[in-house]
Amino acid sequence: MLLEVRDLHVEFRTRDGIARAVNGVSYGVDAGETLAVLGESGSGKSVTAQAVMGILDIPPGRITGGEVIFQGRDLLKLKEEERRRVRGAEMAMIFQDALSSLNPVISVGDQLAEMFTVHRGMSRKDARAKAVELMDRVRIPAARERVRQYPHQFSGGMRQRIMIAMALALEPALIIADEPTTALDVTVQAQVMELLAELQRELRMGLILITHDLGVVADVADRIAVMYAGRIVESAPVHDIYKAPAHPYTRGLLDSIPRLDQKGQELYAIKGLPPSLTHIPPGCAFHPRCPLARDVCRTDEPPLYEVSATRGSACHFWRECLNG
Amino acid sequence: MPDGRHEEEQAIAGTGMGGTMDLGVDEAETLEKRPEGPDGSGPQDKPRSLWSDAWRDLRRNPVFILSGLVILFLVFISLWPSAITSGSPLKCDLSKAQEGSQSGHPFGFDGQGCDVYTRTVYGARTSVAVGVLATLGVAVLGSVLGALAGFFGGISDSVLSRITDVFFAIPVVLGGLVLLSVITSNTIWPVIGFIVLLGWPQISRIARGAVITAKQNDYVQAARALGASNSRLVLRHIAPNAVAPVIVVATIALGTYIALEATLSYLGVGLKPPSVSWGIDISAASPYVRNAPHALLWPSGALAITVLAFIMLGDAVRDALDPKLR
Amino acid sequence: MGRYVVRRLLQMIPVFIGATLLIFLMVNVMGDPIAGLCGERRCDPATAAQLEKEFGLDKPVWQQYLTYMGNVFTGDFGTAFNGQEVTELMSTAFPVTIRLTLIAILFEIVIGITLGVVTGLRRGRPVDTGVLLFTLVVISVPTFVTGLLLQLLLGVKWGWIRPSVSSEAPFDELILPGLVLASVSLAYVTRLTRTSIAENRRSDYVRTAIAKGLPRHRVVVRHLLRNSLIPVVTFIGADIGFLMGGAIVTERIFNIHGVGYQLYQGILRQNTQTVVGFVTVLVLVFLVANLVVDLLYAVLDPRIRYA
Repeated sequence: MLLEVRDLHVEFRTRDGIARAVNGVSYGVDAGETLAVLGESGSGKSVTAQAVMGILDIPPGRITGGEVIFQGRDLLKLKEEERRRVRGAEMAMIFQDALSSLNPVISVGDQLAEMFTVHRGMSRKDARAKAVELMDRVRIPAARERVRQYPHQFSGGMRQRIMIAMALALEPALIIADEPTTALDVTVQAQVMELLAELQRELRMGLILITHDLGVVADVADRIAVMYAGRIVESAPVHDIYKAPAHPYTRGLLDSIPRLDQKGQELYAIKGLPPSLTHIPPGCAFHPRCPLARDVCRTDEPPLYEVSATRGSACHFWRECLNG
Repeated sequence: MPDGRHEEEQAIAGTGMGGTMDLGVDEAETLEKRPEGPDGSGPQDKPRSLWSDAWRDLRRNPVFILSGLVILFLVFISLWPSAITSGSPLKCDLSKAQEGSQSGHPFGFDGQGCDVYTRTVYGARTSVAVGVLATLGVAVLGSVLGALAGFFGGISDSVLSRITDVFFAIPVVLGGLVLLSVITSNTIWPVIGFIVLLGWPQISRIARGAVITAKQNDYVQAARALGASNSRLVLRHIAPNAVAPVIVVATIALGTYIALEATLSYLGVGLKPPSVSWGIDISAASPYVRNAPHALLWPSGALAITVLAFIMLGDAVRDALDPKLR
Repeated sequence: MGRYVVRRLLQMIPVFIGATLLIFLMVNVMGDPIAGLCGERRCDPATAAQLEKEFGLDKPVWQQYLTYMGNVFTGDFGTAFNGQEVTELMSTAFPVTIRLTLIAILFEIVIGITLGVVTGLRRGRPVDTGVLLFTLVVISVPTFVTGLLLQLLLGVKWGWIRPSVSSEAPFDELILPGLVLASVSLAYVTRLTRTSIAENRRSDYVRTAIAKGLPRHRVVVRHLLRNSLIPVVTFIGADIGFLMGGAIVTERIFNIHGVGYQLYQGILRQNTQTVVGFVTVLVLVFLVANLVVDLLYAVLDPRIRYA
């Protein structure tokens, strides 16, 4: 395994008490593999990724338990300086909103070149040449001229390509992409996603794709981990999940995708709202919204049951769910 | 002078670059504000208004409570100074000039042999009166002119903006010296008139900005499309949004106006004796500060605490009304 | 960029005319311009009439204003009460006030920005709360009170400095007056820097810089400070005009013979030429400072430069 997260716990201190954002998440990615992490906002998918990258805001955040094994070592045990050398060089992150994620007063060329001067000790001139090369690689036209421009002078899709270029600069082993296409126009979304998938294949990188868009997932992911209230509720190869979900929450997500063959019918929506992380319901966190909930769900927290060798579901009644 | 800068500080601070998304806390924070029942999915809370939300915050803010109490006390002694003093601020005994603290005269005597305690208490009346009246004048004039310019735009807006620029280009103390040096009246009105004259552009800029922002809101556009009259638009839909920033800036400005009156009186062009003002007393005490520092320190302390109370109150109200800063 | 400069220059003209006209009217209409010319006594009617004719005061005000401005642009600012040329007064007064302003600006930059960065990075900690409270106190206490108290403590009680400045006003004697002059602005610079740093620290691009694996000092200096100081730099630039006009109080406390002193004397003696002349120059300084700030803004922030 390239990356293995084991039983990770993250908390936040808030005005209304402790918010338990991540409660025992475990997942893994291999080189060349794409793991899609799925869930509503507040499910803990981004916080998990930030803990893996080591960019959590501490405080108010706090990692209260677990391990992040990357290339054989536990990142959580590293000193900050060693951790910093890993960031950007061996694992990199792509953020959702490229306009706000790029520094508005530094030219894109300098922001790209910075990766080489800081991590590789290159001269500014060589780094600048590398930056042009990178912009070519993510297919930004007229790279040599545009390298001097500032983020606001690029279109949304081009900016996200720059984010991708920055993440790929040092050819890291792992890329974490946090909703990389959500802020883009639909037509541009596909192009950017395609580019990312292509470069990933080429460089044999592991990719963690955080999203709430099931359409994107079906095309590029190998495995899916579905998160709810800071836990993984289902984890499976992508085809298995689309064939038959083993958790009522996954089923709800799939049923709420608009489909052409159901035109005219009322669109399904999971009832209720996700729970507050300061007051996660006892038992199965999903029970207040679950159509299959029984008494046991209100008291006993379901473990991740083994559905098959490659598949797990945190539902007491996963068999029932699997059979529809 | 501090005038005009608070607005600038706010305006500049408001143009933050980049997003305001928290590092990692985004998810936790969005949830924090989500209404919740006992099982996490219960019925929604009643929506709270900006004002009741702000009031709830202010009641728990020690800075607000402390400055509020100081201000209440100041208002009280301005209205009834005789409640805590028995003497008259104008009854002086030259034979006691520059004497220190003694029984019945806790703050000692000034260079004219007047009781410093009594004069300090009576000085509050001048400061509070100038501060409150000038702020009222500035707020009314500034809001009306700013709102009109913001609402109608076009030429009236450009003209007003230029006029505001002209007033901002004149240093306040300098303007005060020039205008007030030729006035012989012994009342507080010339000083108030001067503050209103130079102070209104500060409020008018804020009111103009608030109105322009409010005008672009969808519900205002909708009301306009439904044929609401201009006066109804302004009073019902736009004014409520412009009130909060104006109140905040006016509260802080009140403190700076008190300081301005004292400064002008110190320079000899604000109030003149026999008026009782902290600025006059501080000015009179400074030549013999070596022998009688108490005559300088007591009115200075009173002035500092008064201005501080109003500025802290304004600061607390701003924090409460501006959810972005929380 | 060139067109922008021209447009800003054109915008300055009405403001300049408005501000100088306003002061001109204040002095001429509200005051009695010839009262100061006869010394302590009141002028007798015949002399007054003659003086009015000599200075063109019998003409309408707008004509006086035009004549005056015409003279100003040929370098003639008129004569002060004691027969000195106003330009001569300026040549001795302005260097002193400029020195004073320079020291004040230096204090704002060094102390204000340092305190702002320190507190902005440690928001909510004791050092932050302490500094924040201190700035509130500094803003609240009027400058003349701060000045008198510091003069009393450092000059009279402890004897560290000379309580009043000699007429040459060398740099070292202007340090305390400079600090007093800067005090309120310094507090604003601290608060502004703090707000700006604290806001930008949570921005997405700082998170990106951390995720890129940049060392902490590089994240702070190159990414955080570069953005956060843009509003601070513009504030300090605009402050130059404020400080030179606000030096009246400070110069009076420390008996500094600069612009404020000359203005104060001119106003007390109702000397029109001195007052209007000095104010005209101050307004000009203020407008130029603001123009420079606007241009500086464009240089520092590419989003404005290429807008």
